[in-house]
This record gives sequence, C-alpha cells and structure tokens, in this order.
Amino acid sequence: MGVIVTPGGFALPGTATAFKTGTWRIERPTHVHGVAPCHGACLAGEDPQAWIDRLARGDAEEAWRILVAANPLPASTGRVCPHPCESACNRGGYDQALNIHGLERFLGDAALARDWAYPVTSPPPDAPRVAIVGAGPAGLSCAWQLLRRGIQPVLLEALNQAGGIPRTAIPPYRLPRAVLDGEITRLLATGIECRFHERLGRDFSLEELEAEYAAVFLAVGTQKSRPFSVEGAVPRDLHYGLDLLRHWLAEGAVPAWDEVAIIGGGNTAVDVARILRRAGVRAVHLITHERIPARDVPEHERMRAAPDEIAQAVEEGVIIHENRMVRRLILRGERVVGVELVHARKLREGERLRLHAFEGTESVLKVEQVIPAIGQVVDEAGLEKLLGQREFLRIDEEGRLAAGSRLFAGGDCRPGLGTVAGAIADGARAAAAIARLLGRAEAASARGPVVGPSRLNLHYFDHAPRQEASVVPVAQRHGDREVQEGLEAAAAAAEAARCFSCGNCMACDNCFTLCPDNAVLKTVTPAADGSHYVFDYDYCKGCGLCAHECPVGYITMVAEE
Amino acid sequence: MTNETVSLDNLRANQPRFSGLTSGHRACLGCGQALAARLVLEAAGPDVMIANATGCLEIFTTPWPESAWRVPWLHSLFENTGAVAAGMEAALKAQGKSTRVLAFGGDGGTFDIGFQALSGMLERGHEVLYVCFDNEAYMNTGIQRSSSTPHAAATTTSPAGRARMGKRHLKKDILSIIAAHHIPYAATASVAYPADVRKKVRRALALPGPSFLLVHSPCPLGWGHEGALSIEVARLAVETGLFPLVELERGSVVGVLPLREPKPVTEYLKLQGRFAHLFADDPRAREELAHLQALADANIERYGLRATAGGLDTESADTVRRGGGQWA
Repeated sequence: MGVIVTPGGFALPGTATAFKTGTWRIERPTHVHGVAPCHGACLAGEDPQAWIDRLARGDAEEAWRILVAANPLPASTGRVCPHPCESACNRGGYDQALNIHGLERFLGDAALARDWAYPVTSPPPDAPRVAIVGAGPAGLSCAWQLLRRGIQPVLLEALNQAGGIPRTAIPPYRLPRAVLDGEITRLLATGIECRFHERLGRDFSLEELEAEYAAVFLAVGTQKSRPFSVEGAVPRDLHYGLDLLRHWLAEGAVPAWDEVAIIGGGNTAVDVARILRRAGVRAVHLITHERIPARDVPEHERMRAAPDEIAQAVEEGVIIHENRMVRRLILRGERVVGVELVHARKLREGERLRLHAFEGTESVLKVEQVIPAIGQVVDEAGLEKLLGQREFLRIDEEGRLAAGSRLFAGGDCRPGLGTVAGAIADGARAAAAIARLLGRAEAASARGPVVGPSRLNLHYFDHAPRQEASVVPVAQRHGDREVQEGLEAAAAAAEAARCFSCGNCMACDNCFTLCPDNAVLKTVTPAADGSHYVFDYDYCKGCGLCAHECPVGYITMVAEE
Repeated sequence: MTNETVSLDNLRANQPRFSGLTSGHRACLGCGQALAARLVLEAAGPDVMIANATGCLEIFTTPWPESAWRVPWLHSLFENTGAVAAGMEAALKAQGKSTRVLAFGGDGGTFDIGFQALSGMLERGHEVLYVCFDNEAYMNTGIQRSSSTPHAAATTTSPAGRARMGKRHLKKDILSIIAAHHIPYAATASVAYPADVRKKVRRALALPGPSFLLVHSPCPLGWGHEGALSIEVARLAVETGLFPLVELERGSVVGVLPLREPKPVTEYLKLQGRFAHLFADDPRAREELAHLQALADANIERYGLRATAGGLDTESADTVRRGGGQWA
C-alpha cells in the first residue's frame, strides 16, 4: 500500500500499515511443538497430550485412532500399565495429575464397545513378509506397526492363543479376559497372520525363518523362572510364582496352603499374593528388599509392582514385609517350616546399587511354603547360539541382535524390561528398523524439548479435581470380578478438559487477543505448523508478550539473524 | 487437512473480530495502551467516532500522513477532550445519527489537564463513553509524574533519592470523583482481563447517558519492565489489590472482580524499575513497602474484593478454553 500524502492534519484510515514495524524486531516469536512430559515419560511412546486434546474436543474416535497409532492395545495397557506418564504430568505440581490411564482405558473400552475400525489398510499380496516369534505385547505391537507400513507380519505363537504375559500371568480381576480377547481379536483381524502351536526349537528353527522371511523379530519373552536357592538349599515341592499364576489362570486352583511366603516385589509377586488370598490361603506374606511406593520413598527403593495393585493387595490382607530379605530357609528334611528374615536395603555405591543385609536384625517367619517370584529368564530352546551363557538376548538401540543382521528382538527377552508398555515400544522400534532395512522411508522422529512447568503460564488454568473411577470394596472382590472400574463418559470428558496441553497449541486465542500490534492473525483452518495462528512478521515488534502469556509454552522467542 | 495458502493481507482482512486500530502504529514493544485501545474498539464496534486527547495514543497512532485508526478519529487538545466529545455527540444527535462517541485520554489528560472538561461533559449528561488509559505518568513527554502516579513510584519529576522515595503524594482517587457525578455507569478495567474490558464497554454503551472507563495500561518504558511482562504486571496490580476492578452505577458499587488469594504487593512492585528503590536496604524503603501494602489492603477491604466461596474468580474471567471463545 503506497502512502497517500494528504493535506496537513488529515490522514486516510488504516494507512499506518504502510509502515513495517517488524523492522524493529531483534527476537521473533516462533511456534515450537514441545514434548509434553507425559509423552516423554510414556513407556510405549504414546503422546497422551495429542489424543487427550481430541477427546477434550469431543472426538473420542479420532482420539482412539491417534492413540492406537502408537499402542494397539489401550484397553489392556490402560488397566495394567504403572503409568509413569502421570508421575510426570505437569498438573501434578498444580493440583492433581491427570488420570491418563483412566482415559486410555476409557478410549480402549469405547473402541471395543463400538467396534471402531483400526486405521490401517491390508498390505498388497506381494508385500515383504516378516516373521514374529511370540504373540505377546511386543510381537503384537511389532505386527501392528509393520502392517501400518505395508509389510505383512506373520506371528508364530507356541500356545493356542495370542496375548503372552497379559494372558498367562495377569489375573482377570486386573485384566478381564473379555477385554484382552476383544482387543486382540480385533487387532488380529486387521490382516495379521497368526499361526498357533508353533514353538521355536520344536516346530521350526531360526535358520528356517531367516531363509523364508525378509526379517525376523524375536519376542519370545521369558518362559523360565530364574533358578531359586538360598545358600544352595532348595526345598522339595518348590512352586515358582509364575507357574502358580499360570496354573491358577488355566485350572482355577492352587494347592491348599495355610501360610506362605512370597519372595519378590514385582507384579508377579503381588499377583500371586492376591490370587492366594482369593484361593483361601490364610496368611500370605510378601518379602521384598524394596519398599511400598509412597511420595517420600526414592524411586530406586520402590517395589516395581504398580502402586495401585500393591495398595489393593494390602487391602485384601496381603502382609508385606518391606526392606527384608530371606537369609536362610529353615528346613526339616527338604520341607520348609519357616524362613529367617533379615533387614536389607539397596544402597548407592558410586553409580551402582548394592543390597546390604544388616546383622542383628534377624527374625523367623513360620511358613509351610516359599514361593519365589524373583524374575524369569529366556528359555534357550532354539536360541542356544544366540544366548550362549546369558539369561537374556542382547540387542542394539535399534532392537537388532547384531549389526547387519536381519534378526531383531524385544520385549521381556531383552534385559531390563518388565512392562507391557515397554514391550509395545520395543515392538514399534523393531518395526521401524525393519521398515528401514526393507528400504521404506521412515519419518525422522525428532522430538523438541520437554515442556516443564516453568514454560507454562498457570495463571490461565482453574483448579479442578481429578476424576477417579470407583474401586470395588474388598468384601465384594470375588473370583474374576474386575477390581478397578472405568470412567463414565462425562467424567472422562471432564478429565480430558483438565489437560494443560503442554507444548501444543490449544487454540485459546491468548496470543491473538493480547498482541498490542495486531501481528497475530487467526487462521480459519489450522495453519501449516498445526496451530491456529500465524505471526505477521511485517508488524511483529518482537516484544515477547505472546510467548509469556501462552498458557501451554507453545511460543518460543528466537534471536533474529 | 487440506493445504491451502492464504496471503497475510487476505487473512488480515478476514479476522473474526473488528480491529479499529491497525498494525503499523509506532507504540513501544509491549505497549499496554495500544492493546487497551484495540480491545475497547473491538467491543464498541465500527460505528463510533473518537475524540483523542494529546498523549502517547495520539502520537503513536497518527504519524502524518498515516493513521492507524479505521474509525473516524479527531485529535482534540490536551485539556478539552471532554468538551470536544460533547460537541461531537450533540452534532450527531442533531443530525439524527446513531453513531456513538468515544473520548480517549491518558491519565495526564484525564486526571489533570482535561479534568474540568470531563467533569462538564458528565454534568451535562452527554452520551459519551470516556475511556482513560491509565499508565500512571506523562509517558509521552518523558515520564513526568501525574496525579495518577502511585505513591512511592519514581518518575523524572518524582525521582527516588536521598530526599524522597519516589512520589510523595497518593494516586488520585478519580473513580470517587466520577462517582460523585452520579452518572449511569463507571468502571475500572485492566488489559490483563480482556474479556472484562469488552464486557464493561458493552455495558457502558448499553446505558443512556455518560459513562466512564478507567483502563490500567502498563507502560514498559515508564514503569521499567520488559514488554513481554506487560500483562503479567497488569494482572499483579489487580491480584494484589492495588488496582481493584470495580463497577459503579449511579455512584454505587454494583460489582467487583473477586480475588482468589490476594498476593503481596512486593510481587507487583519488584517487577518494575520505578519501584526498584523500595527494595534497597533502607528503613524508608521498608516503610514505603508497608505503606503500599496497607493501601492495597484498604482497597480490598473497601470494595470487598476477597472471594468468599470456592476460592475462584466467580466468573473465571481470565481462564483459557480449548478452541478459544473465552475472550467474548
């Protein structure tokens, strides 16, 4: 617009736009999609902020589609995941963290109830075929992610059903089988080939798979309990925790005991304790050198089982002995009559943690059965060459067994895992690596910085209580009845609305309303960067007011060249 | 999502709100007054005329031969804005036109120099909305104190030093003087609460007769804070009780913006260079801090600002919602 020179004292309206105040600027506001803390903490690699945003806008089905792009089993993980996303949630420091696992379960259940279609199309008939050994969470996740990339997955499962640990070792009161079956059946129906009764080392060998398939993903899990002995003593009639769980889930029965001690602090130990209580065992002791999770207990001292599960176990009468270890089995012949306990704690020694037992703190607990739940290791059948003397399969950061190899592995069979969500992430990582191996273009997953509370402007949020679903009272916890109930639709909507939307534009209009220079323009449809606003750098003076008042930390000031 | 390229000019011409003040004006970075003027016009709508006193707003919006205004606008003098606006209103009325008249002035042109013309306009009952953009000193001429400058603030004519801790006198209680004219509507507002500004403009224009709006508008240059903090500073003025947001009809208080949890005045003061001397290790500084806290406490008590139920602003005036729309 040219300047029209007018007689003195008179100017045409709106002509100041001829003057570009943007030339004053030394810093420019830019939109930066930061990583929400829940996204950074999610074991399965989900971006909860993204799908909660859709749910808050009232589009539950689209929210579920975004969710399953990372995790195809949300109804299951929403029930069993220890949800570190909630510990990371910025809202936790303001009032209460978001009930993210409750929302995940809500969407998973809604998809089951309404039969929402998984967003995927079948691969072409000539698509490369990839073998996946084991149809647990890691295998299913890998299959799903390969399918999304147009690669045909073939699952080989030793048992007669898919599901892995969630099926063989997680009790139905935590994960109802209707939910697990429903979710897996729907997932397999998307075009995943699955063959049952196919056991590695018995029905096929690794060499055969490598010859037949473009790549192989090993998700065999840990099928063998870690051998248990105390100072070389092994009781006769020893039952491992995982075996008891499997037996209970398959047969619905356990031996009739009166007093038992379970050794371990993980989910298996807690689950075994709870099923024994349900089976009528009078005194169920749980011995762990870790502690019951609480706010003031440091991360490395906490029991690895999910905090809610531990709390429910205590409600149900499980006696937890924290900071204890078994020093000696008291045997009469080969029969256990008790255990000698001693106070013990993990202490830091430089970088490492070492377990210390404290002399003079010994006590005796009279029990008739000791049940170790101290972890499982990989069954070497068919994997002898890969495993050697090790307990787990060693992989690189892509999930590959060796550089240049077409063999990948993930889930519980690699060291240091132990969660369903972590297994799902392993499956996804391997699928991405396999796609690269097969020459597929993979979008780079560059992540921005995690948006901490100092990046938010909390002034703009009202306090609102966390929506909690109800828990079945102890007296009514019978058989397979699910202990934790789900959120109602209204509660889920209210909970989604509590999300701070950390690091991502929530289209609140703050920048648009508050720019003193009219240099923030609102777009009709989302702009190219996903926001609803564009900066008009012709006029933006770079004052930074929009960045300071952005409630979600989506605007960053950067120096002009 | 479809990819479609829209030119900025096209987008600017199709914004969902009326913008009476365009880009290209020469206000400083983070100017509270530029924002306040636009917010008032967003609510007052296009069918208005403005009489504008001498001051920053007049200067930075109309560097000849340009104008940032998109509505009829007239520069009155420093002292006669009320009179000029009254004449415009009378002339429009005589022509049978419904165009509303707004009078814009700073605190210098309102509290001090144009005060008698404003009083006359209110007394004669002209149907004008007089908006005072209060940045608490003569910013345009070089930060000289006005009768609106708060107690203990340093300006170039009330410097802090050995003799005095900034301005010796109190901020003039203009609202009580306006209230004494028994006009239909008078209110205070703040740029930190845009929805509240717009609501009050609409209420003022809905009532017949003269109305008055005092909008607290931070001046980064004169107050000594970064432009990015203008809204933060304005918000703290309200949250501490130093600048209460109230509404008066016929001189009686009919509404206040309640405070969740009044903040200590130091949170407001420490962000600003004009109060930096109050944080020196000096007994007089401590006394002045206590004095300012007492003034805030007196405001909270006088207007009953403390939120009683729920600990939340009753109207959640400043919270955000997904998808916008909260700044109605």
